[in-house]
Amino acid sequence: MAEEANFKCLRCGHQFKAPFSPKDEPQERACPECGSNSVRRIKEKAKKK
Amino acid sequence: MTDVGRHPRIELMTLSEVVDVQGYIGNFRVKVLRKARYVDEKECTACGDCLEDCPVTKPNEFDLGLSTRKAIYQPFPQAVPAAFALNMEECLGNNPIACGKCLEKCEKECIDYDMQDKEVEIKVGTIIVATGMDVYDPTELDEFGYTRFENVVTSLEFERLINAGGPTEGHLIRPTDWQLPKRVAFIQCIGSRSEKRGNPYCSNVCCMNTIKDSLLIKNHWPEVEIKVFYMDIRAFGKGFEDLYKRSKAEGVMYIRGIPGDIREDQETKNLFLLAEDSNTGKVMEHEVDMVILSIGLIPSTENSLIRQLLTLSRTSDGFFMEAHPKLQPVDAPTKGVFFAGCAESPKDIKDSVTQASASASRANILMSAGKFTVEAITSLINEELCKACGLCARVCPYHAIEFDKEKKLPARVIEASCAGCGTCGAECAFDAVVMRHFTDQQILGQVEAILEENPQDKVVVFACNWCSYAGADYAGVSRLQYPPSIRIIRTMCSGRVDEKFVLHAFKLGAPIVLVSGCHFADCHYINANRWTQKRVEKLWDKLEKKGIRPERLQLEWISAAEGLKFAKVMKEMEELRQGVTLEEIDYTRKEL
Amino acid sequence: MAIERSESDELRIGVFICYCGLNISGTVDCEAVAEYAQGLKDVVAASTNRYTCSEPGQQEIKNDIKEHNLNRVVVASCSPRMHEPTFRVACQEVGLNPYLLEMVNLREHCSWVHMHEPEKATEKAKEMVKMGVARARFLQPQIEKEVPVDRSTMVIGGGIAGIQASLDLANAGYQVYLVEKKPSIGGVMAQIDKTFPTMDCSI
Ligand code: SF4
Ligand SMILES: [Zn+2]
Repeated sequence: MAEEANFKCLRCGHQFKAPFSPKDEPQERACPECGSNSVRRIKEKAKKK
Repeated sequence: MTDVGRHPRIELMTLSEVVDVQGYIGNFRVKVLRKARYVDEKECTACGDCLEDCPVTKPNEFDLGLSTRKAIYQPFPQAVPAAFALNMEECLGNNPIACGKCLEKCEKECIDYDMQDKEVEIKVGTIIVATGMDVYDPTELDEFGYTRFENVVTSLEFERLINAGGPTEGHLIRPTDWQLPKRVAFIQCIGSRSEKRGNPYCSNVCCMNTIKDSLLIKNHWPEVEIKVFYMDIRAFGKGFEDLYKRSKAEGVMYIRGIPGDIREDQETKNLFLLAEDSNTGKVMEHEVDMVILSIGLIPSTENSLIRQLLTLSRTSDGFFMEAHPKLQPVDAPTKGVFFAGCAESPKDIKDSVTQASASASRANILMSAGKFTVEAITSLINEELCKACGLCARVCPYHAIEFDKEKKLPARVIEASCAGCGTCGAECAFDAVVMRHFTDQQILGQVEAILEENPQDKVVVFACNWCSYAGADYAGVSRLQYPPSIRIIRTMCSGRVDEKFVLHAFKLGAPIVLVSGCHFADCHYINANRWTQKRVEKLWDKLEKKGIRPERLQLEWISAAEGLKFAKVMKEMEELRQGVTLEEIDYTRKEL
Repeated sequence: MAIERSESDELRIGVFICYCGLNISGTVDCEAVAEYAQGLKDVVAASTNRYTCSEPGQQEIKNDIKEHNLNRVVVASCSPRMHEPTFRVACQEVGLNPYLLEMVNLREHCSWVHMHEPEKATEKAKEMVKMGVARARFLQPQIEKEVPVDRSTMVIGGGIAGIQASLDLANAGYQVYLVEKKPSIGGVMAQIDKTFPTMDCSI
């Protein structure tokens, strides 16, 4: 199974899942909603109680 | 063609591929993989004795599978070099028990099953990219029935059918019954000029090719009825309109309208085309014996490797992008590299030859001068500040920095290899790297000039020279309007944009900062913009930790051809800017 | 080699604002920008020109460099991707290191993209000139490295274009390496019967 991560577009705010593995070469990403490249990976916060 | 084979100063390397390119203008080192031919090129006289006994029969690629060839073969009669080649994957085997028949037949003993692929390194001053094009495969356009109906052929297949050297020796026949078709239809713009399927651009050659084909048919078989279905006939070149008129005068019917659908009669294998003539508005069904799809040209599949090796870019149509569309149409953005022929855009033979001569002349200018001056924008290491951490050497896409881990000596830049992207300069934490002509001071000076007065009204944009800055130029040339709050700072590569440039801008009250560079595939510094992205990601984290909205730092990849995108993004930046409050800006100033 | 004058401590910056016919001056008030530039720190001369890239325009830069003993030049005209080489040569011709030139892209990045907002465009143009001057203060003379150019070419692809380029260069006296993936050169052209417009044979 391909690993996935959550991404957030810093232009329009859209959140989405996309294939991601920390081992991969960095990739060009674009928001599926607005096309912006300001796409940030949301890192899972350390599990809160 | 034969002149090439004979020329004392041309070394012809067939069955060969470029696998690696190192170096820079004037001093490229190219690795070429020479695949084994298994036939001695110099000795072979193409007598054909070996063919007789070869038991393997394969479709002949040159005739697009309309004829067959053996595992040992000459691609076509006028081939240069005029030598046979053996396809080892198809050959039954080099062991004489399995086959080895051709070996026995060849009196000159040119066949050598043990020949090996060889890699050679060649040093050259200039490179001409003439990788040509491929043709569009119309199978996806199901309504035209290509591959479903045998009597639907592509224009390139048709070329082979009417070629005297082709599989039918030049007799016009249709595939199902090998009879002369009485009624032939050409359909234009297959795979071209369509936003939905195929490609949006005009393939340039198909109209004239059809006109030419129609005349060829009329010359030999005047009784054949020809209908051409078209959107527009583009016959703009010298002598072209003449041919078009001649074709019409010969009775070729031109019908403005592309058939929506083709049906086949199961019995006769004739084809029925339903088309509206947009000149008369009438919908009619046309019965023909054979349909020729006038297929468009597409970028060569080979281009992607060459593009990476030579750090070239593509325009939106997928063909290579020139250094300047009007003023440097045959120069590649990479110095010392030039384009000839369809690699750059679809062209007919005359234009290909013209461009080839132009590129030869451009290369000649460099080589006859015998030297080239490199822009003094390379990196320098300040040995006093260098802590010998080795980070710069790690990030340099060109391996232009020497660094000895053991001895912990200051890093050293190999000037001739440094391309001046500035990635090392942005990454160095000790400010030990000086980018000549793009120093920290120079760039910070620009940032300060922007933000000295009314910083809240401005958007600070870092744009890389090759793509986003050029995209901004293109927006200008196209007179695309965007808000005047935008301030652009040029760097050679987005990889140059140091964390401190961005933070300094925020500290001085910038509401929005945009870092923009080339698309990943287009990076002019191999992969320097990967570091841009990583750096921006780090900055987002950093800003967030300090309670500053990461949205205020934006990232965008804009190519030189994307003037429209540039203008659109600038409008978005202005919208974002209006969403930044003065309180936020004040807070940021205090926090940083 | 040019005489390096920039080592002197005192900055003497000259600013040249180009009208580019109406391309810039149609939107931006170039005279106002020049006046503003004149008031910037370290700027000792600021002027406008109809076409800075023209022969007389370049001459004016050269004259000013000599007359005002300029050690930094800011040309506010079109994209550096277009005319930076032109003005670098002009500077060099009067002994100013070409790297002491800075260009401000008023045409592509201001007048052409803010055509309906002349006032704002003029304000922006002023600030762009200020940015250029700010950068110019820190410019340093640079010496360009010369690299030799090997007198040989590699042509990748043996279709009609590759063949033509190879023959031209080989006939001009250079060594040519023609690399073709297939077993024969000729490309798509060799597959075509007669070719337009002359309707003769392709090979
Ligand atoms: S500027 Fe770029 S190419 Fe030059 S040494 Fe630094 S990282 Fe390497
Ligand atoms: Zn979005």
